[in-house]
Amino acid sequence: MEVVWLLAFAVLLAGYFALEGFDLGVGLLMAGRPQERRDRMVAAMAPYVLANEVWLVAVAGVLFGAFPVLEGEVIFALYPFVVSMLLGWIVRDAGLWFRRRIEGRAWRGFWDLMISLGSFVLAFGWGMVIGSVAGLPWIAGLGLGALTTALFAFHGRTFLAWREGRGGGRVLALSGLAAAAPVVVLLAAVAPHLLDHAAPAATLNVLSLMVAPFAPLMVGAQVWVWRTFRPGKGSDRIPSFF
Amino acid sequence: MDVLDLARLQFALTGSLHFLFVALTLGLAPLVAIMHTRWVRSGNPLHEHMTRFWGQIYVINYALGIVTGLVMEFQFGLSWSGLSHYAGDVFGAPLAMETLVAFFLESTFLGLWIFGWHRLPKALHLACIWIVTLTAYGSAFYIMIGNAFLQNPVGSVVRGDHMELTDFGALMSNSALVGAFPHVIGAGLAAGGFVMMGASAYQLLRRTAYLEFFTKSLRTGVVVAAIGVVVAVGSGYAQFGLVQEDKFEANTGAAVGLGFMMLIGELLQLVVVFLLLPTVYWLPRWRWTHPILIIMTPLPFLAAVFGWMAREIGRQPWMIWERLTVADAMSPGLTSGMVTTSLIGFTGVLGLLAVVDYVLIARAVRRGPEDLALGAWPRTPAPAPVRLEV
Repeated sequence: MEVVWLLAFAVLLAGYFALEGFDLGVGLLMAGRPQERRDRMVAAMAPYVLANEVWLVAVAGVLFGAFPVLEGEVIFALYPFVVSMLLGWIVRDAGLWFRRRIEGRAWRGFWDLMISLGSFVLAFGWGMVIGSVAGLPWIAGLGLGALTTALFAFHGRTFLAWREGRGGGRVLALSGLAAAAPVVVLLAAVAPHLLDHAAPAATLNVLSLMVAPFAPLMVGAQVWVWRTFRPGKGSDRIPSFF
Repeated sequence: MDVLDLARLQFALTGSLHFLFVALTLGLAPLVAIMHTRWVRSGNPLHEHMTRFWGQIYVINYALGIVTGLVMEFQFGLSWSGLSHYAGDVFGAPLAMETLVAFFLESTFLGLWIFGWHRLPKALHLACIWIVTLTAYGSAFYIMIGNAFLQNPVGSVVRGDHMELTDFGALMSNSALVGAFPHVIGAGLAAGGFVMMGASAYQLLRRTAYLEFFTKSLRTGVVVAAIGVVVAVGSGYAQFGLVQEDKFEANTGAAVGLGFMMLIGELLQLVVVFLLLPTVYWLPRWRWTHPILIIMTPLPFLAAVFGWMAREIGRQPWMIWERLTVADAMSPGLTSGMVTTSLIGFTGVLGLLAVVDYVLIARAVRRGPEDLALGAWPRTPAPAPVRLEV
């Protein structure tokens, strides 16, 4: 059962990088663009954001439920990163939610800046977190931060191309793999440590029994998001709430 | 203040802020789902407008529910790693169910509902808001299982230096849960009902152009507020037989919270059940009552925060009742500097965003059901050039 939960943890974390990676990438690419372009960029990612960011919430849930000892240790060890990345996440989400609630260039420009800033803190922060968990010196962490930022920005670009009918789904899938690559390498390295710190069998069994009935609905909902909002179908004519 | 007080203050402030928005989510979600159902069944544009207007208020409110919730989730690891070390094998399970299943589904289906307008088939679009409602209640249920375990640690044994799960069923039928869960749901419905009542009263007072819309909304608000208040007060009193006897005697903060909550709860019950409910038919026309209804809107939220104060301060000095103290649950190595920095960051940013969110909600109420962003109609494409064949 430990192996099942390790796999669930790995899939959710790698999935977060591959999915939320392009949302953060689009947020990075918004910086410095004219408002009309930013509106289209936000409209392109808007239907996916809620379904994507929740993968990280699920990662934290699995950590707490299946690897509770590590939950406290890892999050506490990463204290400054977790606090700044949470703040980045908060202002990014607030930016998306608030940008269209009041008309006006200054209002929207401010929240769009918050989206870009928040996306940057998260994208760069993930590289530093990977470096820190792997025990690398901070200078290497900075390098990894630059790497994840670049990978997410590239992933955001291929996503926009796909969504706007300028690029194929295969390129998007490949850039998703690239965005998830750094964390997959880290996961492979820390897998034995995770297995050693899994919750006892009684907890894991109860958790499995309770999650299993909902798993098909969770997968189905994610697939449905991608089917519903695929390019074409006159999707650009429906005004975005974000 | 020492580091423990600061860590507690951080949790109390973010938790209270979180619940202000969550309570309204719990109250509005079923109302929006019911309006949407009526719209799908009747095709009546009035029901469509009601779904979109109250849905938009629900969604604006939801933003702060998410971001404050994120801070709550990670705070366990940041400040209270002693809790997951000691009782993670038990406490982690309901929390994992909330985040991995309930919130995961809620967020995914909420995205489908917000952006699925004019894209999804009507029945499936409707199903989305019902799943959002059910999973929101599921979230509240799992969180309350976790909270009830802290109040009354059943279904587990202490083995060596930590607790282990023995019976999840006992966690779900915890005596600290069976009264508290309906209490929270009642508080949520009351909050939703009062917001609907106050917002409708504002529009009616201003001689709105949408008379039928806000007349119906005001009546719905009164009925839902009455149901919520009765459930909250009833399940509140029912809990007195179940809570630990010395909970409120030793803790002044808890006693003060309890006292004010009961004062507001009973006042609201008196006003809603004995004055507003019997006059609900005429209320929309009695303009002199509307300022009173508007002023009353924050009261259920205030009562909710006092209620959490009673429950959580009443648990002191225990994190888990008679098992683990709050001091022992704190992350070892946590310093005042760390907590102070994150406290300023979180409460500063979340506090500002909460103010902005309330301004946006108030603005949405003032503007009424005109030019709603939620469910806006597709822009008609520019007409294709017609080539005349001569």
